[in-house]
Amino acid sequence: MTNPELRKKNRSSLIILAIGMLLTLAVASMPLYTYTIGESEQVNGLSLWGFIGSGTSAGMIILLTILLALFSLICGIAGLMGTWEIEYKDLSPRTKTLRGASVASALIAFLLIPAIYMANNYFFNRKRSLFLTNHLEEGSEEYLQSMDRLLFKGSAGEGIESSLRGLDIHLSGMFFLLLFTLMLMIIAAVMIRHGEIKNTLFKMLLYFFVVVVSVVTVYPYFVMLITGLRTNSETLDMFFLHILPTKWMWQNIVDILHRGVARFLLNSLLVAGGATGIAMLCGIPAAYALARMKFVGKKPFLGFVIVSQMFSPVVLLIGISQLMNTLNLNNSLLGLMLINAAFNQAFAIWLLRGTFISISPEMEEASLIDGCGTVSALTKVLAPMAAPGIVTALIFVFINAWNEYTVSTVLISSAELRPITVGITTFSSFNMIEWQYLFSASLLATIPVVILFMSIEKHLTAGLTSGGVKG
Amino acid sequence: MNRTKWEPYVWLLPSILLVSIFVVFPIFIVFKLSFSEISKSGVVGDFIGFQNYVDAVHLPAFGIVMKNTFFWVISVVGISTILGFVIALVLNQKFRGRKIARSILILPWATSLVIQASVWNYIIKYEYGNLNNILLNLGIIKQAINWRSSYQIEFIWACAVGIFVTVPFVTFCILSGLQSIDPALYEAATVDGAGFWSKLKNVTVPLVKPALTVSTVLNIIYVFNSFPIIYTMTKGAPANKTDTMITYLYMLSFYERKKGPASALSVIGFLILCVCASIYMFGVMRKEESV
Amino acid sequence: MKKFLIMLLAAMMTFSLAACGGGSSGGGESSGGGEASGEPVELDVIICEYGPNTQNWFLGTGMDGSNFVDKFHEANPDVKLNLEVVSWNDVYTVVDTRIANNQAPDILNIDVFANYANDGLLMPVKDYCPEDLYNDFFPQFIEQSVIDGTVWAVPDLASARAMFYNVDMLKEVGVEPPKTWAELKEVSQKIKEHYNGEVYPWGIDMTTDEGQAAFAYYTWGNGGGFVDADGKWAVNSAENTEAIEFALGMINEGLTNPNPATETRYDLQDMFAAGKMAMLIAPNQLPTYVADKGGTINMATAGIPAAEGKTGSSVGVMDRVMAFKDDSAPDQAARNEAIGKFLKFFYDPENYVGWVSMEGFLPAVNSAVEALVASDESFSAWLDVLNTCQFYPTAMAEWDQVKQGVIKVEQDALAGGSVQEGLDALQAELTK
Repeated sequence: MTNPELRKKNRSSLIILAIGMLLTLAVASMPLYTYTIGESEQVNGLSLWGFIGSGTSAGMIILLTILLALFSLICGIAGLMGTWEIEYKDLSPRTKTLRGASVASALIAFLLIPAIYMANNYFFNRKRSLFLTNHLEEGSEEYLQSMDRLLFKGSAGEGIESSLRGLDIHLSGMFFLLLFTLMLMIIAAVMIRHGEIKNTLFKMLLYFFVVVVSVVTVYPYFVMLITGLRTNSETLDMFFLHILPTKWMWQNIVDILHRGVARFLLNSLLVAGGATGIAMLCGIPAAYALARMKFVGKKPFLGFVIVSQMFSPVVLLIGISQLMNTLNLNNSLLGLMLINAAFNQAFAIWLLRGTFISISPEMEEASLIDGCGTVSALTKVLAPMAAPGIVTALIFVFINAWNEYTVSTVLISSAELRPITVGITTFSSFNMIEWQYLFSASLLATIPVVILFMSIEKHLTAGLTSGGVKG
Repeated sequence: MNRTKWEPYVWLLPSILLVSIFVVFPIFIVFKLSFSEISKSGVVGDFIGFQNYVDAVHLPAFGIVMKNTFFWVISVVGISTILGFVIALVLNQKFRGRKIARSILILPWATSLVIQASVWNYIIKYEYGNLNNILLNLGIIKQAINWRSSYQIEFIWACAVGIFVTVPFVTFCILSGLQSIDPALYEAATVDGAGFWSKLKNVTVPLVKPALTVSTVLNIIYVFNSFPIIYTMTKGAPANKTDTMITYLYMLSFYERKKGPASALSVIGFLILCVCASIYMFGVMRKEESV
Repeated sequence: MKKFLIMLLAAMMTFSLAACGGGSSGGGESSGGGEASGEPVELDVIICEYGPNTQNWFLGTGMDGSNFVDKFHEANPDVKLNLEVVSWNDVYTVVDTRIANNQAPDILNIDVFANYANDGLLMPVKDYCPEDLYNDFFPQFIEQSVIDGTVWAVPDLASARAMFYNVDMLKEVGVEPPKTWAELKEVSQKIKEHYNGEVYPWGIDMTTDEGQAAFAYYTWGNGGGFVDADGKWAVNSAENTEAIEFALGMINEGLTNPNPATETRYDLQDMFAAGKMAMLIAPNQLPTYVADKGGTINMATAGIPAAEGKTGSSVGVMDRVMAFKDDSAPDQAARNEAIGKFLKFFYDPENYVGWVSMEGFLPAVNSAVEALVASDESFSAWLDVLNTCQFYPTAMAEWDQVKQGVIKVEQDALAGGSVQEGLDALQAELTK
């Protein structure tokens, strides 16, 4: 490829990106020009800055969009300047980052447009319906009147009702512009990456998928957060007045800690940690034997552990409690550890066995020939290579033990030995469910698991690279 | 290799002990109970043969509960396996923010089912649920929607929550399988000119299969035995029409206090699981041996 | 990497060992009592979690900085309580599992008693309850715990149900609180029209948790009920069918909350507190509940509406305290005495008044009335209601079956089934 061609390509991609950004800004500021009062009178010529300064969420999002668009253009120019004639794959990482940031911020700015329209619709429609059902909050009237002065120069009328009446945003028309803009931006993104259409689209799709899945996943935790920090009266917002708490009740966290949540968390940590330790100490040797040795009764044993999981602990309560009584482990955390370890053996053994089988035995055999014992062959050679499987099994057992509920309710009778799952039932008593405490405690209970996971997550990927052996 | 005959059994011993004492013994008790007369408050009486089983099968809700259980297991396991597989493939790609994405994805699993069910129960409430709140306040809907207007819909919600909490498990099982695939295999396939689909079919799926088999069998068992979601969201209402086997036998035991039939029913459930899982495993394991 | 894993495993083992030590020292030994006469008698007590304060009152700092157990130990050094507060959701599971393992608690606080009595697990009240305390209980409460002439349990607290209505709403619509079913329907329709469907006029709860209450509200208001005049089960009477069909009619005409099979009493109370429901049947704690939830509803009570020409009846709900037999206890007399001491201390007005008023319940003993009325005027009105109200037939052995049976019939009808057929089937099962 000759350099002038590259040069041309780069230049046109910058131009397309700029057009895309201009269109984005145009569509974003469209609501300002399409407000109508009543049915006929069109209001034009409103200052953009006036609207941004109005303090509505829509104004703020428009400001954000403008900033993002500018940022995108600056990054785009910086990423292209001085690199006009270099192939994409030969670019320095810094330049690649700049170009990537340009594309990403352009897309985010684009995606903010619907948010502007929603925020506008939300603001006026909700205020209107709240007004009609007598649930309008105090202070809203002055606010709406100042909006009226700003948007309509006071022509919307006296009362709040009339100023609310005609506010509606037309969405049609902008739709085609949006599609067109999206096309332009994808083209720009592709060109910035020098025609790697497939890769660019794939990356975009990938991020889109990850974002959607993450949003759905985080949603219940968002609900826990905003509900857990509400006041008791606001947990049941029957008229849907606020998405966010009007008053952030950090006091709720203090309250639940006073009601023993710290102790419950500690108990859960002990039970889950102990159960994981026991399950691994029993499971790894068993899985090793099942993967590497030949002996009679291998298949029956594998079947046996699976069958042993087929009863839910809910069904086995009576037997478990009888057993714990005999072993004098009633009302003790050790009992819970052993039960949880036992009920997770099947998964640990099967998963670890699968991992061990998938790793070629050459290295261990070599080390065995070198005079190492079987134990050190397992711990020094196999275990590091099987790290992803071991970490998965570890996380699995830990989480299952952390979340166990039914057996604990029956086995643990003293309040100070309760794990968190049982402990938080005190917030949903006969008389009242204290949603704010229930959810803030639940959120707290999630944190240790996430921390554990994040601290060992990297070993999920460590696997083969550290083993240094090729099958 | 010089290994003595009994060596494998020494390696297995801790595991055997753990499982036999803490799982097999309680199972033995359930079998014993299912053949005994049990009073309403739980006092265990005499051996009465198969009477409990006869009573269990003649319970009026037996049919619908079986149907629900079947639907519940198939939909939750099936959909979460497909979703989990796709997500695992995505998370196995190298991209910025992968670590964060993985940590986020583990969230549904890191919270106990009771809590998950309570939160979703709260979210989809008609009168004050957060879903209505957010949709209304974003201007997406004009009026609150009754998300649980019939029991069929409620059951679908319960399944959705079941899928939501099961996906991470499947994803991480498959991900651990994907991680232990040697990248050299992909390189070799690329050199041979294999495309994305062909690599998926010829390299990824066969190598992930052991992990997938284990996760599916265990998933069937866990989902079959999953209790808190339905118990928290519907308690089987109306009239056991949204119960699965496990919630039904809990209600039977502790609400209706028919403890004998309840333990018989749990043995029946166990037998069904045994048959299904062994058919599945028999097929898969035979293939595995032949590879 | 490998080091990390090993350290992690080691840490977990340390954890488990530490907890092992903690477990065995912390875990209190179960019942049995002391062998030598000098040792204190141990009593296992299970209390149900009534409200956010229960746990704190018994075991925390909810009783003037101290708690019930500590104060009891101070006053009675010869008795040791292993007291456990269990949530209502789990209490049957916990108790039944313990019973199946011959580990019944010594003292249990729960709502039902008939199953335990019929299995011969309970001790008659007269074996352990001091005479003066026994005479202090409201006699109409004691009557509810009699099987074959023996009293098996004592009441611990009660609540009474009545109709509550939002005064402002009814005033705005211009209607009087309804007394009969026809009026109820008419008023509901007017409320619905006036508020354009934004407000639910009437609340109905047919959930698996408490659907039997709805059955009682309507059948008792139509001259029917769970039992006939002879005290035999009569769930399939024409009156009962008519009553349930009336309730279903209200639901189908859109005059109630939309999902009665899953919307619990608390959901209804929350709707009422938020001003989204105009009228409902609720226990006497509703005002406290509404205040806790930050509601500012101007509410009043009235009798539960009944069918034309029939008299309505208020509904009482009562929980109990009972003592289980323990043949392994070395000194039965000392054990009985210890149980008596527990009851004596619990019902001592100094402690009991705080307990009852903490969650807004009604008392079960005369000695507490004076102090309660002094603290809150409305108590006396509720005590009058309590005198006239009907209770569930909890002393009958089939009560669990009937309770779940009527709930199923209601829910089945909500899903389109026939009320009469359902009730007939239930009755047939009962008389089989």
